[in-house]
Amino acid sequence: MSALLEVKNLETFYGPIMAIRGVSLEVHKGQVVTVLGANGAGKTTLLKTISGIMDPEKGQVLFEGEEIQGKEPHQVVRRGIVQVPEGREVFPLLTVEENLTLGAYTRSDRAEIERDREMVFSYFPILAERRLQEAGTLSGGQQQMLAIGRGLMLRPKIMLLDEPSLGLSPLLTQEIFAILRRLNQDEGVTMMLVEQNAAVALDLADQGYVMELGRIVMADSAEKLAQSEDIQSFYLGHANEGARGERRWKKRKTWR
Amino acid sequence: MNMLSEKDLKGVRVNAEPGVSPVRIDGHMTVPALFRARCLENGAEVAHREKDLGIWQAYSWTDYLTRARHIGMGLRALGLQRGDVISILSEDNKEWMYFDMAAQCMGAISSGVYTTDSAAQLAYLVNDSQTKFLIVENEEQLDKYLEVADQMPSLLKVIILDPEGLHAFDNQNCMLLDELYDLGRQHDDEAVFNAEIDKTGPQDVCVLIYTSGTTGQPKGVQLTQENITAGMEASLYGLPFQKRAEQLCFLPLCHILERIVSLYTPLVVSSTVNFAESPETVFDNLREISPHGFVAVPRVWEKVYSRVLVMAQESTALGRWAFGQAIKAGLARADCILEGKPVPGGVALRYRVWDFLVLANLRRMLGMDRITRGLTGAAPISPELLRWYHAIGVPLYEGFGMSETSGVATINLPDSNATGSVGQVNPGIQMRIAPDGEIQLKGLNIFKGYLNKPEKTAEAFTEDGWLRTGDVGRIDNQGFLTITGRIKDIIITAGGKNITPAEIESRLKFSHYISDAVIIGDRRKYLTCLIMIDQENVEKYAQDHKVPFSDFRSLCRAEPVLALIRREIEAVNKEFARVEQIKDFRLIDVLLTAEDEELTATMKLKRATVETRHKALIDAMY
Repeated sequence: MSALLEVKNLETFYGPIMAIRGVSLEVHKGQVVTVLGANGAGKTTLLKTISGIMDPEKGQVLFEGEEIQGKEPHQVVRRGIVQVPEGREVFPLLTVEENLTLGAYTRSDRAEIERDREMVFSYFPILAERRLQEAGTLSGGQQQMLAIGRGLMLRPKIMLLDEPSLGLSPLLTQEIFAILRRLNQDEGVTMMLVEQNAAVALDLADQGYVMELGRIVMADSAEKLAQSEDIQSFYLGHANEGARGERRWKKRKTWR
Repeated sequence: MNMLSEKDLKGVRVNAEPGVSPVRIDGHMTVPALFRARCLENGAEVAHREKDLGIWQAYSWTDYLTRARHIGMGLRALGLQRGDVISILSEDNKEWMYFDMAAQCMGAISSGVYTTDSAAQLAYLVNDSQTKFLIVENEEQLDKYLEVADQMPSLLKVIILDPEGLHAFDNQNCMLLDELYDLGRQHDDEAVFNAEIDKTGPQDVCVLIYTSGTTGQPKGVQLTQENITAGMEASLYGLPFQKRAEQLCFLPLCHILERIVSLYTPLVVSSTVNFAESPETVFDNLREISPHGFVAVPRVWEKVYSRVLVMAQESTALGRWAFGQAIKAGLARADCILEGKPVPGGVALRYRVWDFLVLANLRRMLGMDRITRGLTGAAPISPELLRWYHAIGVPLYEGFGMSETSGVATINLPDSNATGSVGQVNPGIQMRIAPDGEIQLKGLNIFKGYLNKPEKTAEAFTEDGWLRTGDVGRIDNQGFLTITGRIKDIIITAGGKNITPAEIESRLKFSHYISDAVIIGDRRKYLTCLIMIDQENVEKYAQDHKVPFSDFRSLCRAEPVLALIRREIEAVNKEFARVEQIKDFRLIDVLLTAEDEELTATMKLKRATVETRHKALIDAMY
């Protein structure tokens, strides 16, 4: 089965700085794929390059077998790729409903849009309660829900989620990830999820990649990644306290 | 004592005839005596530098002597006796030097432990050497000690160099370096210190070097004062350092190469040692220091080369063209020099122009603008790479040595150089090839024996007292030694043919894409090989040729990468006879690090470990 989204040998620069140094990965239809990595590893740049906000210097992005690298974001969106940006960027002066309507701006089937809006409200009932409220007055968690809901309004073939857990309480994070899981299972939404919160991401994902300094250093099923010693000590916070019981140093990463 | 005549060599008074006992360096027969004399003589001049919070700090020869004395007197107060062993578990830093010299001065023996060794290996080394004092760099190394603390009864005290993160740590068996300094100051007594130095004789063991042990447990090579001074005498002839030269210390001091080059050679010539911040920053430190000589293993030279090529490829079209022209001009000149022919006027002029336009800048960028001579050793290096360095104006020469020879045994020199050989034997050392092809050496630099292993020691020497190096090689009629491999590794194929795998392996390693290789085939129908790829260069190849890969494992499985390695192997196969052809290969798809047992501290694959750990891969090829 060929992949829905395929990234091959991607290299992206910020001016002279090479932020992505040759990344290849695959996302299959119906899967949740997560990309883990520390700050500055190049995760967001990767998403931005896929969605057309940034242009790669080298390499290909294949969506349903067609090259889309270097295309304008609005063209990419029309193909069914939607990015839910980091830091819950909603339109603060528009209402919840208007935000959702904007998410469907590429579509003209009014009845269907209406149905999808109700679908979003069924997943995020709190948004239904506040449908006429300005988005800027929502809480952080609600804004994140709105950003995800706005993405859903496109009926995307794939959703690119950039750190949906950022700045949210553990409880809210769990809630949002539970909804993401339902969206994946019930609606069949394919997702590529960039996260620092490895525990929730690996729990949700089928497949995972670990990025470091613009490169992929590890790739495996989410289950196997969660068992890897390096992932446990560097991302999941399982500490080996050592003989003194207060070890601060970490052993060198080997990524196996 | 018979009075041998002396001569002046690079400003140092040595025996007119090298390799004769007693070895004297400016009249001193032991390391501590020479150390004391140099420190007094050079006084406030800079002995070494180390970075502190990112700024280079200089330390004088007086500091050097004072600190070594305080440490020595402190250890003595804690119960150190002559002949005791101290073990140093630390990356290179000035304290490593101080402790080593303190041990020398107090008549003790210093032994280095690799920071990549495991707790179990540490326990083995401490017990084998009956170490009394263990010096640990920081809390990471301290934790290794704590893990096996109850298995090392010989230890009197553990000294911690870096107190960071250990404010709350309290253990009566451990103390911080500052506490030791305080103790040393309290018990400071120059007369006692000097008396201890003077008690030391040339035959006293002073250094213990554990060999990486590609098979079995590591063996402790015992070197005496005379071994080391003979090694220093040989270094004076062979190494490019002199008074006030700057050098960079970055290879592990546990290894004989860096130990001789950065710890003992500076005592001979009064050069200045700069400690690299960490193994990761070597290239930056190189640029900052711009040393006068640079001694490194082939891996380092290869890294620099790859970096330059990448930089050149990523520059503008004009830049690439100029770089290509400059290298061409450099190679034309290098070929004349390496073959010992005079450089024709046109070639010399062309080189001068390109040197001015490109090569001089390149050298400055690399921090190699002051290097008069570069040296490589500890593993085979590609002749092509030697040529390339000569071309960019960094004359690089290959040498050979081992722990058992107290450092450099043979070396190529500017006026006697044969590329591809490891050079002529050092003045004062004798060399012969046994009937079975083994290289054998004799001289004052040859070690005394392995600690606690009389049977291994006996195996290491011939009946007439020559050191059996275990290497096979040949000497040409001008005395240049070429090494072909290890005796133990000789493969006898099922067809009964003897093959030295190292010869094929080093040819493979000359490929930029192959970092190391192990040839398999003992009692098998044909030869096969396990390959460790060079991550950086193969990744670059994959990027350039649009070969998708995610992690290292997928890189090793990519068909175009396998095809690339197959081509490299086929190219090597052409140079060998039919029975020596590699029929099949596998890539080791885990990225090995120094902590892995498959690798020696110098990042070479260990044949025996590789053969057992990757048995499944090997069996799949037959």
